[in-house]
Amino acid sequence: MAIIPSLPYTLESIAYASALGLLSMGLSLTFATTRVANFAHADFAMVGSVVMLFLIDRFYYLHHGWGVFLTGSIVGGIFGGITGLLTYLIVLKPLADKGTSSLGLMIATFGIDIILMNLLTLILDTAHGVHIPKLIGASVSSYEPILSLRGYRVFGYTIVLPIAAVLLTVIFHLFLTRTKFGIAMRATIENPDLASVLGVNVNLVYMVSWFFSGFLAGVAGALMAFAFKGVDPAVSALIIVSVFAGSIVGGLESVYWGLIGGFLVGLVEKLGMTIINSIYRQYFVLHLGAPNVSLLNYEKLLSLGLVVIVLLYAPQGLAGVDWGRLARRLGLKKPVEGGG
Amino acid sequence: MPGEDIVRVEGLNAGYGRFHILFDIDLDVSRGEIFVIVGPNGSGKSTLLKTLFGLTKVYSGRILFEGHDITRMPPHARAKMGLAYLPQVGNVFSELSVAENLKMAGYTLDSSVLDEKIREVLEIFPFLKDKLNAKAKTLSGGQRQLLAMAMALIREPKIFMFDEPTAGLAPKAAQEVVDRILWLRRELGKTVILVEQNAKLALEIGDRAILLVSGRIAFKGKASELLSDKELGKRYLGLKG
Amino acid sequence: MEWWIFSDAFLITLFSFITVSISLNLEAGYTGIPNFGKHLFVFVGAFAAQGVGVRIAALIYEKLQPQAAQEALAQLRSMVPGATWSSLVHAAADVDANRIVVNNYLRPFFVSHVAAEALLLVTLLLVTVGLALFFGLIASYAALRLREEYLAILLLSFAELMVLVVFYQSQSLNGGNQGLWAITFTKDPVRFALVGSGVLAVIAYFYADRLANSPMGRAMRAVRDDEVAAEVFGRDIASIRLKVILISSVLAGLAGFFFIQNAALSTSLTFNRVIWTFLPWAMIILGGMANNLGAVVGTVVFLLAKRLFEYYQVQIAHLFHLGSASIAATLLPNIFIGVVMILTLYFLPQGILPEGPSRTVNFEEILAETSSEAGEAGGEESK
Ligand SMILES: Nc1ncnc2c1ncn2[C@@H]1O[C@H](COP(=O)(O)OP(=O)(O)O)[C@@H](O)[C@H]1O
Ligand SMILES: [Mg+2]
Repeated sequence: MAIIPSLPYTLESIAYASALGLLSMGLSLTFATTRVANFAHADFAMVGSVVMLFLIDRFYYLHHGWGVFLTGSIVGGIFGGITGLLTYLIVLKPLADKGTSSLGLMIATFGIDIILMNLLTLILDTAHGVHIPKLIGASVSSYEPILSLRGYRVFGYTIVLPIAAVLLTVIFHLFLTRTKFGIAMRATIENPDLASVLGVNVNLVYMVSWFFSGFLAGVAGALMAFAFKGVDPAVSALIIVSVFAGSIVGGLESVYWGLIGGFLVGLVEKLGMTIINSIYRQYFVLHLGAPNVSLLNYEKLLSLGLVVIVLLYAPQGLAGVDWGRLARRLGLKKPVEGGG
Repeated sequence: MPGEDIVRVEGLNAGYGRFHILFDIDLDVSRGEIFVIVGPNGSGKSTLLKTLFGLTKVYSGRILFEGHDITRMPPHARAKMGLAYLPQVGNVFSELSVAENLKMAGYTLDSSVLDEKIREVLEIFPFLKDKLNAKAKTLSGGQRQLLAMAMALIREPKIFMFDEPTAGLAPKAAQEVVDRILWLRRELGKTVILVEQNAKLALEIGDRAILLVSGRIAFKGKASELLSDKELGKRYLGLKG
Repeated sequence: MEWWIFSDAFLITLFSFITVSISLNLEAGYTGIPNFGKHLFVFVGAFAAQGVGVRIAALIYEKLQPQAAQEALAQLRSMVPGATWSSLVHAAADVDANRIVVNNYLRPFFVSHVAAEALLLVTLLLVTVGLALFFGLIASYAALRLREEYLAILLLSFAELMVLVVFYQSQSLNGGNQGLWAITFTKDPVRFALVGSGVLAVIAYFYADRLANSPMGRAMRAVRDDEVAAEVFGRDIASIRLKVILISSVLAGLAGFFFIQNAALSTSLTFNRVIWTFLPWAMIILGGMANNLGAVVGTVVFLLAKRLFEYYQVQIAHLFHLGSASIAATLLPNIFIGVVMILTLYFLPQGILPEGPSRTVNFEEILAETSSEAGEAGGEESK
């Protein structure tokens, strides 16, 4: 049955979904804390990709070790985090302090998006690396370890990305629940006035959330560099669509649901579209004479479709769904008495 | 030093932006008393408490706390000076557990001091011990008020300002909250400013009281006097004549 | 400064952007609709002249010139096996075939037959309007239901998917990544584009100015400014937003139609978010939101600046040690626009020409007006 995608493709899809999960989680984090819909979030990821490119150029060219993933994630994450922090400190905070509306802040992040995208392209175009020109054109995936699994060639990044996503989520969860500052962050998300009255430095919380959001994006971008056919900062235009889709599906204001939403959107785009495409080719093209085109190029339409469905039927996203009630409705769970 | 003024308000005019709500408010609260503010809905009771805590715009007049002018002081600085304000809604973090709420309440304290304080507070509110890991939103309304009170206690404030702490509570829970307020004054010698819709209940436990009508003081004096003033009681407070 | 500044291409770009900025200003400045997908609505006009235009022109041509159409078809089949005339799907799928059909057969015929050309022009303008209304309806469906952030996100996502995915991936719709030759008009399409975009810009300006100072304009600002005032209007909010989006979409679509006359071969990527959404936003913010003259001023300032970057690209590239001059001409202006826009938000939030206090909506006035007009609303609120 060719409808079921192959093992490497499935792994690639899960890796992509993991990256989207990290990205949507970060987007939801800054939205939950500072109420800014960040249109530059995918560019933070591209910062990570470009960092990875430079690392390969300077240290890992012809050197196919697993170390590239660790170094790339950390350095890419830090650069992404600094980009996020600077975005907040240099642009958003001064504007917010002057009383700029939320629409104004959104437009400002749109401006950051344009600036970063062009700046990164400029950096790549003018980089005087030894191998950079070669790296930009080709896929960097030939500079990473490749495994052999059940006779399939499996790219290293497809293994590393899901692990990184799980690891970062666990660390972030521990931070939010076990540290005083993490608790303060959750408190600030819920009620900044009350938090500040109790002595929490709300501005510091905002700074940390922008750094962390950028960090997650940087890590995702650094590892995703291996999935691109050549790093091109303009790709951010397409990535941001999926990231927003993930956050909206998750609920835009909930960090954990953002992660789940991004993961879901990634899976639907990749695996969902392959399955639809196989069915289309095997039945509609073969038997019904439908036009012989590949639907794979239209995978992003599925995420938009998912967003539309969510906005129509669950405007608060998955975070707003009353799962207990849904389960009882579907007869999966016995109704409970009372409760409150 | 019982009897001395802890809060003093002189010629206060305040509101929200260009919405002028409070007009020419003069009052003084003595240390250790329960000072009651009553009035019809929308008369400015909550606004008065918010103004005392620096959350509104003051057009003129001044607010003194223990003799210091705090009129222009930011809220977190007032918290440090020993004021505690329990808003009508949103006085606990409902998505956080009870333990986390208590930790937040002592955010500025050293962790060793904080642990000690939390232990003390749990002795005062033993029911919280079983609920430490429950999210605050799972508590009943009365329990939430008591949690908010416990959070305020951790900071050891000198004055508590309650905004309708019994609103929406069942009579038994309301009674428990009232008992706690009386206990605060009796055992700890704290000063309490109490805003209440339930005028009868508040005036019965209060020492002195004011009646706010449309942002102005319509009565100032002993709480018992206001309680027995049939005319005002009937007109503004829905008390039976 | 030399004559280049007034080159035809520059003026066509200027006029097109004036129309687009004015139309965005109606939505964003006056009514508070955060349309981050403007580029799609401009692209709609190009699609009318390209993907749709080629097909319609071919159909008319086949009806009027069956003989020549056969001849063209034979030539076409030698390039694209199995091509059929009436669908022209295959002609559109191959950029060479498309070039031959458009430039060797369709254009010469229509240019020399004034009546047929007029018919085609009217048809394609109607198609532009129809497509603009169609996409405008989709956008307003969302605009009536969603909060600001969600709306902005959705409009951007929708536009990006249409422009970057649907129209770019599908060969048959609009030539995909190869692009298509647009149907152009008159012997001198550049002049036609110049006059068309110029007339459109003038009409757009005076229309928008009249609209802004009419009761409708006041209602638009009420929807933007004041939740309560907007509530008093009740159901009218929906129809105001709908009307504004439809009007703006049509204006943007027509601007795209005339613009493409001077950029005949292009792909949907010509209409990307940087140039056709972000730049107009920067223009109205710099010029002054909710001020039509401001939109024009902002447009002129940014386009002149962009032009200067292009003109001095060699010197700038040298100055910054950039490898190629084209980088200075493309990347630097975009960075410049982004920086200026953010600085404007900070230092000049009202723009060069602020909306002005006399023009802001007066809440009491609206209440009085609606209660006297409708005789029902606002009675209890207007104390
Ligand atoms: N944030 C605000 N902005 C403007 N007006 C407000 C705000 N909050 C309350 N008000 C107005 O202030 C007046 C007094 O409200 P409030 O102090 O809450 O009354 P009370 O607590 O006595 O019921 C009311 O008319 C109310 O509409
Ligand atoms: Mg109140």
